[in-house]
Parts: sequence; C-alpha cells; structure tokens
Amino acid sequence: MDIQRLAPHESVDLHEIINFKTLCVAKSKLMQGLVFDQDLKALMQKDVQQSIQDLTELQAIYERAPFEAPFPESRPTPILN
Amino acid sequence: MNAHLLKLLSQKVALHQFSIERKVSHLNHDYLDPINALNVPEMADMTFAMDFLMRAKEGVRNTAIALTESASPDLRALLRKQLMQGIAMHQEITELMIKKKWFHPYELREQYKLDQLSANNTIMIGNMKLFPGETNRKGMFDRTPDSL
Repeated sequence: MDIQRLAPHESVDLHEIINFKTLCVAKSKLMQGLVFDQDLKALMQKDVQQSIQDLTELQAIYERAPFEAPFPESRPTPILN
Repeated sequence: MNAHLLKLLSQKVALHQFSIERKVSHLNHDYLDPINALNVPEMADMTFAMDFLMRAKEGVRNTAIALTESASPDLRALLRKQLMQGIAMHQEITELMIKKKWFHPYELREQYKLDQLSANNTIMIGNMKLFPGETNRKGMFDRTPDSL
C-alpha cells in the first residue's frame, strides 16, 4: 500500500516548525547552564523535554514529505572546505 | 602649605566626581570591574526569561500558522496538541515572570523602566570586548570536526 504523502504546503510549514523546535531544544538546554534562578531553570528543563517529544513526533510525520530523502546518521563530508 | 591643601582638595573632588560617575552612569567598559557585576544574576535571568517567553509566543504563532496550512488529519491532530501545549507553556512562563517581578503586564510604568534598563545594559555589554579576535578553534580537534 502506498503511504499517504504530505502536500507541499504542509511540508514547507513542517520544515519551518521542525527547525524552530530544534533551536528551542538547543537554546533551552544551553541556557540552563547560564541561569541563576532555579524555578526558571526547572521550567526550561520541562521545555527541553516537551520540545524533544514534539520534535520526534514532527520528524515522524516529516518522513512523508514529497521531498523526503535518505540521510546518514552523521554528516559524512564537511559542508565547506 | 596653601598649595598643598589646594592640591589635596582638588584630588578629593576629582575622586568624588569619579565615584559619582561610576554609580550613576554605569558606563564602564571594563568587564572585570566589580561595579559591572552589580545585579547581574537578576538582569541575566530577566533576559533569559524574556527570550524564553518570546520563543513560547513565536512557537504558538508558528504552530497556528502551520495548522491552518495543513490538511492531513494526523498532522492536524499533532499540531493541535502542540498548540495547546505551547499555550500552556506560554502561560507558565508569563506567571513565573510576573511572580519574579521580571514582567509587569499591568503596571506599564514599571515595565517601561525595565525595558529601558535592560536595553541600556545590553547595549553596554554589546560594546564590550569580551572575546579574543581569533575564535577559530578548529585546530583543537585532532581531525576535521565534520569527518567521520
């Protein structure tokens, strides 16, 4: 059975949300090393966990994008140089 | 004798002016000067919380926009769930910031003061020389960082 592909407009918005969520995980994680207030730190940790959950769920649906392609586990060649 | 007294007095006046300037303007670009460490934890936390709040807001908006672009039922259901979670997270951050007095949505005069203070303080940090000119640390890896 053929998998249900996403429409192009859905896929582009999904691309934006995925990159936004990725940055959110990175930022909330990094900032935990800088904050002084422990309540703020705890809320950021909650955000990291929630954003990781969101991100993995979005990734699963993103695999049905029309421009989906195989990708390696880590970057095999440098982008520049 | 008179000349000596005059010299002492002018030194004292100069010193006094210097300390006033330090207290009032805070415009001191030496990041090792302890005067610049005054209230730093509070200011830093306020900045991080503001960034966090903006991200939560932006996330809610991005998710709402994506939701109105999507047609696939499972994607819609997922985005809808994440939108609700995002709204709840935004509320939690707002409440925390109000409790810590980092955000004053009902007292705009207080908010105005905070806005101006953090803008000025951050401009000061922006003008500081904090990092060495050369930040290419690739030589610290034993091989190209991107290679397998």
